[in-house]
Amino acid sequence: MGATSIPHAREAPGGRRWQWPRLDREQRWIGGVAAGLARELGVQPIVIRAAFVALATVGGWGLVMYAVMWVGFAFTTSRAGTEDYRPVPKASTPGHRLAGIGLVTLGLVLGFLPLTSSVFAVVVWPVGFVLSGMLVAWTRADDGGTIAVVRVVAGLVIAIGGFSAFVFTRVDLVDAVVALVLAGAVAVGIALVAAPTIVRMGRDLDRERLERTRSDERARVNAHLHDSVLQTLTLIQQESDDPTRTRRLARRQERELRSWLYGTSATTDSGLRLTPALELAAAEVEGDTDAIIDVVTVGDVDDVDDLAGVRLVPLISATREAMWNAVLHSRSARISVFAERTSDQLVVYVRDDGVGFDPARVGADRRGISESIVRRVQMAGGTATVRSEPGAGTEVELSIPISAQIGSAS
Amino acid sequence: MISVVVVDDHALLRAGMKSSLAAEFDIVGEAAAVAEAIDVIVSTRPDVVVCDVHLPGGTAADVIAGTIARGVSTLFLALSVSDEAHDVISVIRAGARGYLTKASSAIDLDDAIKRVAAGDAVFSPKLAGFVLDAFSAQLTLPDVDPDLDQLTPREQEVMRLLARGFAYKEIARRLTISIKTVESHASAVLRKLQLSNRNELARWAADRRLF
Repeated sequence: MGATSIPHAREAPGGRRWQWPRLDREQRWIGGVAAGLARELGVQPIVIRAAFVALATVGGWGLVMYAVMWVGFAFTTSRAGTEDYRPVPKASTPGHRLAGIGLVTLGLVLGFLPLTSSVFAVVVWPVGFVLSGMLVAWTRADDGGTIAVVRVVAGLVIAIGGFSAFVFTRVDLVDAVVALVLAGAVAVGIALVAAPTIVRMGRDLDRERLERTRSDERARVNAHLHDSVLQTLTLIQQESDDPTRTRRLARRQERELRSWLYGTSATTDSGLRLTPALELAAAEVEGDTDAIIDVVTVGDVDDVDDLAGVRLVPLISATREAMWNAVLHSRSARISVFAERTSDQLVVYVRDDGVGFDPARVGADRRGISESIVRRVQMAGGTATVRSEPGAGTEVELSIPISAQIGSAS
Repeated sequence: MISVVVVDDHALLRAGMKSSLAAEFDIVGEAAAVAEAIDVIVSTRPDVVVCDVHLPGGTAADVIAGTIARGVSTLFLALSVSDEAHDVISVIRAGARGYLTKASSAIDLDDAIKRVAAGDAVFSPKLAGFVLDAFSAQLTLPDVDPDLDQLTPREQEVMRLLARGFAYKEIARRLTISIKTVESHASAVLRKLQLSNRNELARWAADRRLF
């Protein structure tokens, strides 16, 4: 994907870092400065090029700026390369962008039209406006750290400079009016620069404090439950005087707590997740019986995005049916469920070491296996195999294919 | 008779385990915390230590490292209520010969202790699953020593059958090999897990945010 072709690229996950601009060699006319800058600001390169040309005709400023930026951008490009550079428009809103460009322009104009002879008018204001405009344009609304500090400092310097200029320069009426206008512009500039930062900093601090409180609380509860409730439940499970009842209770409670502790919710924003869904199904089947169902999963079975919903649901229901069959017919106390994702398929085995049966002798009228297990998996495009022999347990194998593309992408 | 030390921070669970093991094993000591466990093991020199994964003052991995540092090598069987891959893999890598969840029945535990005492590895289905996961993740990593860090197809097959819940005896029958051969495959897998390149395993764990 050509990064250069998407000036408005959305922020990629993990790409939240502030990055220095780079030269855009692919769309360059001369050095790639204008194109690189356009990418940074989220505007069309032609706009920046026109601005450079316009400035070049006014006292050569455009040429100077182009040269300085060329050197700067070339440095960042050679130092950091372009591989991990994500061109995120730094000025995230059109208003923001407009304010930045406006301030830069105002600064340049002031530089050309010295209204008074004082050093402030000649140097401080133009430079101040240009700098603050660039900062507004090149930092994003969610930036933190050094950039935010630089912005605030720059704003303060401008404000103090303006204030002292106003107080200590002896001015006549015309100059005073000009100074007032300038002061007003300064105030607006500072508000634009600093206000979002201050508001955001307050919000960030609040959120951080809240998150810390929450995670502390959660860690405390986790530690407590892990050491007491889970252990005690296991103990009840192992040696109780009323085995059936307490064991069911303990097992169910254990599952519940475990899923709460480790946050294994069967459904997430991205859809159904296989491991917790299987755990849940196992818990449901276990809940009303004496059976113990061990669920083991291998591979990133939860990331099978293309299977979410439509195909995972039949697989899980078929697995649940197979568990029920094992619980009801095998007379086995222990049932193993194993799910594995290989490069091209998702396989689930449900196994018991119980009495078994002869598959050849199951009557055609017994529709449990064929209807509820085989058909369901076939609907999801997969296959189901039942292996059993009398006295040697039963194993149901369910598999559905997954696309090779998704498999290799993991 | 096989001598056993039981390490668990919960007195009730220790008592329960001792009473269920007393018939077949010689319980020579017990401990509730890491430092205490190391002292008891060093002074009693048991054949097998049944050790909870989470203890006051550290984990079973610390107990194993501590006893080795004191010049005592004994066989460890890890036991935990937690099914987290991180706990299991770190204790196995420290040198434990097997891992059972506490939900395992008394018969499983008896069996496992005997097997560990005989020098074999004990894989619960969970552990077999974690091992498969660990090694399949490693396959995609570069610069892996193929002889050391990968499972042979046969070993993978054995692990997969263990994860599916088959006992050694049934695996031997299915693959038409002897039980001894199944046991040697299992031991080889355990050895590979313990010897394999630390960095890659750490990366595997880091990818899953286990450490």
